[in-house]
Amino acid sequence: MSSVWLPCGDYHQDYAEDQGWWQTTFIKAKMILLLAIIFIGMPVLLPGYYLSVATMVGYTAMGALGVQLLIGFAGLITLGHAAFIAVGAYTSTLLVLQFPWPSFIADWGLAYPISIVVAGIAAGLWSVLFGLPSAKVKGFYLILTTMAAQFITVDFILTQYVSQIGGRGQAFSLPPGIIKIGPWAIDSDRKVYYLMAVLLTLMVIVFANLLRSKPGRAWVAIRDNDIAAEALGINIIRYKLLAFFVAGFFAGIAGAFWVSNTAALSPEHFPWFWSLWLVGVILIGGVGSIHGAIFGSLFMVLVMEGLQWAVIPLAEYYPRVLMAFASIKDAAFGLAICAFLIYEPNGIAYRWWQTKNYFNLWPFSY
Amino acid sequence: MKKRFGYLLVWFLALGFLTGFCGVAVAAEIKVGGIMDTTGATSDVGKDYAIGMEEAFKWINEQGGVNGKPIKYTWFDYGYRIPEAITKYKLLKRLGVVAIMGWGTGDTEALSPTVNKDQMPYVSASYSAHLTDPKKTPYNLFFSSDYSTNARSCLTAWFDKKWPNHKDYGKRKPRLACSYMFASPYASAPIKAIKDHATMLGFEIGDDQDVSLFALDTKSQIMAFKKFEPDVVWHGNTTMSVSATMRDAFALGLKADHIINNWGIDENLPRLAGEAAEGAMGATPCAFYGQPYKNMDIVVAAAKKYSPGVPQEKRLNRTIQAWGDALILWESMKRADKAGDLTGPGIMKKGFETLRAFDIGLGAAPITFTPTDHRPATGCIVQEWKGGKFQEVENVNLKQRWPDKWEKEWLGW
Amino acid sequence: MELFLMTLITGILVGGIYALVALGWVLIYKCSGVLNLAMGELTLIGAYVALTFYQMGFPFILAVAGTLVVGVALGFLTERIFLDRLIGEPLLAVIMVTVGLSFFFKGMVTFIYDTDTRVFDPPIFAIKPIELGFLKVSPVYLWSFILAIVLLLVFVWFFKYTRWGLSMQATADDETAALSLGVSARFVYAAAWAIAFMSAGVGGALLGNINGINISVGYLGLLVLPAVVLGGLNSVPGAIVGGVIIGVLQNLSGTYLDHYFPGGVKEIVPFAFMAVFLLFKPYGLWGWERIERV
Repeated sequence: MSSVWLPCGDYHQDYAEDQGWWQTTFIKAKMILLLAIIFIGMPVLLPGYYLSVATMVGYTAMGALGVQLLIGFAGLITLGHAAFIAVGAYTSTLLVLQFPWPSFIADWGLAYPISIVVAGIAAGLWSVLFGLPSAKVKGFYLILTTMAAQFITVDFILTQYVSQIGGRGQAFSLPPGIIKIGPWAIDSDRKVYYLMAVLLTLMVIVFANLLRSKPGRAWVAIRDNDIAAEALGINIIRYKLLAFFVAGFFAGIAGAFWVSNTAALSPEHFPWFWSLWLVGVILIGGVGSIHGAIFGSLFMVLVMEGLQWAVIPLAEYYPRVLMAFASIKDAAFGLAICAFLIYEPNGIAYRWWQTKNYFNLWPFSY
Repeated sequence: MKKRFGYLLVWFLALGFLTGFCGVAVAAEIKVGGIMDTTGATSDVGKDYAIGMEEAFKWINEQGGVNGKPIKYTWFDYGYRIPEAITKYKLLKRLGVVAIMGWGTGDTEALSPTVNKDQMPYVSASYSAHLTDPKKTPYNLFFSSDYSTNARSCLTAWFDKKWPNHKDYGKRKPRLACSYMFASPYASAPIKAIKDHATMLGFEIGDDQDVSLFALDTKSQIMAFKKFEPDVVWHGNTTMSVSATMRDAFALGLKADHIINNWGIDENLPRLAGEAAEGAMGATPCAFYGQPYKNMDIVVAAAKKYSPGVPQEKRLNRTIQAWGDALILWESMKRADKAGDLTGPGIMKKGFETLRAFDIGLGAAPITFTPTDHRPATGCIVQEWKGGKFQEVENVNLKQRWPDKWEKEWLGW
Repeated sequence: MELFLMTLITGILVGGIYALVALGWVLIYKCSGVLNLAMGELTLIGAYVALTFYQMGFPFILAVAGTLVVGVALGFLTERIFLDRLIGEPLLAVIMVTVGLSFFFKGMVTFIYDTDTRVFDPPIFAIKPIELGFLKVSPVYLWSFILAIVLLLVFVWFFKYTRWGLSMQATADDETAALSLGVSARFVYAAAWAIAFMSAGVGGALLGNINGINISVGYLGLLVLPAVVLGGLNSVPGAIVGGVIIGVLQNLSGTYLDHYFPGGVKEIVPFAFMAVFLLFKPYGLWGWERIERV
């Protein structure tokens, strides 16, 4: 193990160290501090409302990770991700509410965790179904296929068929206390936050490790030039479908998590707008890196919160602002995307990387 | 160029945060929250409701608020997107409100377990009958007759007054078909009840047709209706789509009467549907804007004073509905405060559930809440648009006509 | 049989309007390679602008002409402000800018006009249908179709017989060659957007006439995407045929398939059909095949 603090001049002695995500002690310390803040500091110090904002950031990041995989790492542009999140959410809800679990599972509180995994798999398979056209079409046509996935899944299948199962038909209502992991019922903001933190960390770890393994390299090759990748012997159909599956899996877990955050579930939670939002998130955060998804989520959620807080005092002078707030949010989102794409095409992650490098190389940053 | 953009962004965000936090004022006042829809699927009726609610609270403060304490009413638009409603609810809870004026069936039912756990009185604009059973939803209330009561009343009124004049009266069963948005919790709330009532009265029931709340073109649904040839069509949506459906029915020659839920009939309906609206009947739990009922002058005066920018011809009966909910909350808070318990459970037990035949005027039935029954009214006035104005068809009292079923079977759905 | 014919005729008539909007889309793609996902909102803007002119007292034809003028102005502005800087950027960036634009336009329109349904009041066409034998056709559909065809013919004339139209065709064919002959590429891009705004705007005004204007008109504009995919992204006649086919499909599925499914089939059938069609003919009926080199 090398013992320098800053990255310049680190000499690794074996392959495992060289491929490590955290390469120096300094970085290791930073990351452990970050994890401590996320898992210990924030829940203890922040009041409930801010924890729910953080949960929202986490949920957006979970969705954005799937989109980042497809767009940033595999080069498959997708505008229908909310559909797969919806599939995950509905699978999880239906399993928890309707499935006749044997009593020992229900008593031990394993129903929900099992449903999370099953939801992920179901969403992954559904995503592969709509990824099949990617074997034949590329670019714009793929976008349209994923759009079709969104409309068909959410607006049609879920709204008309799945919602009608049991219940009164439109929204599944989850009585509090039914979502349990082991002995703990997930019913307060703090517990939801913990669940989010655990799930998000696991997802990031899995994703990061996938990226530096064979599928990850294959995806990057496909993104850069898929015909050349095929010429080099990479089976592009297999890896494209794998990309859809993994992205769908992440989406399914995000959906299953969402279920614990809301008291009731209906198809309105997953409109096309949300798919576009996720793509916007990774564009603003930076395409092609895990940081991008997380920074993008942070930025979008915090800016929207800030707008909301700013509007309250403004509303006393311009009541119209409050009435039409949703349209202002839409317009602001549109402008933000355009502005970022025109002026900051590499996103926030790029600026972060630049800042980090500046300090890493200081005082030799010229 | 890029640097400048970066600076501007930082300044804009900083400004936003600063002005935001300036607004969090601390004052000794009673906080009430509001979650409204002014831009979403039901905003055609939601905007007027939101304006009316604001005016109502301003007037209440002028009357001294709650026994001298002013009410600070903070509301947000959630655009009928349920995740937003949940976020706004959490925000309002953080701001420390003691009660919330809610809006749509979707979010009210979604938030219902949460408000019950938090013991937060939630006065909604959703009159879904699923919210009227105190055993399941003790903290959800509203002032008007619920949707199922409305639906049953409309069907009864049509059966009493229109069906006897039909040429096939006595020869066959009358035919009912329903047109509403399947996926909307609001529109689908009373369907089971109206079908049950229709079966009880001896109707033949046809297939439902799905009409989106935003629908502009309903010709294929009308063509499907034409195959069944209903005598009466129940419309469960809001005014926008109901008027489109009625226009298409008229254009395609569908010979059926129309009965409409209360959120589908207002002053805009004849404007949007034109001659197709002639003879349309609907549930009207309160008066139309400007009709000469008790306390209407207060509403009109407040509207003119607080929202001079909104023209009087554009005001709807939704303002009256907003006042209805605001007035019962005010009365309940006054009673709870006199009893010294201005908390969530206090407002419920010592406020709402002590209301017996409380009359707010405005053409609404007197309101009664009991600890076992949160249905405010026992029937509904059904009015129709005829000859250029709204006229009453019948004031149906369901409890009087079917007292057993009212008490025992019909609560809660 | 009568039902089938009525639905078919309605479908063709509505399809004419979709064809008009699809034409604008194909133009943008042919001339500048931009895949425009904001078409729905352009339709929306056109509808509301026409409504505003109409409410100010102009007769409908003048209101449509006014929409054309506003469309040209907005098209030029949009192109200059937003799209000029994106020449040469990767596909995703360009598409997402149009998505961002669509949100921006939608937000602006909702902010200015609110979300109520509005109708053209007094109505321009009578509600009672015209009887042609046993068919009942609403005058709205008939006149909208005629106007759409007229505009299509005007556009085709513009492209074939005027100097500007020819230079646009040249740029679409081979940009570098056109540049070398003195055609201003920036002008061509701006003109493409202006024409798209115009065609979408008129399409929106006509669609809004049929049943009223609210945010849904934007979703109708989104239907243009299956239409152009059907016809082939590069092909103008393909766009027209695609538009008509989508109109017919939508209406037929609404009438016949509604029985078998609980509802809401009408909106998604074009997309579902398109998804399946893409599996068999990825480039549409007349599109150019992409040949990629490594």
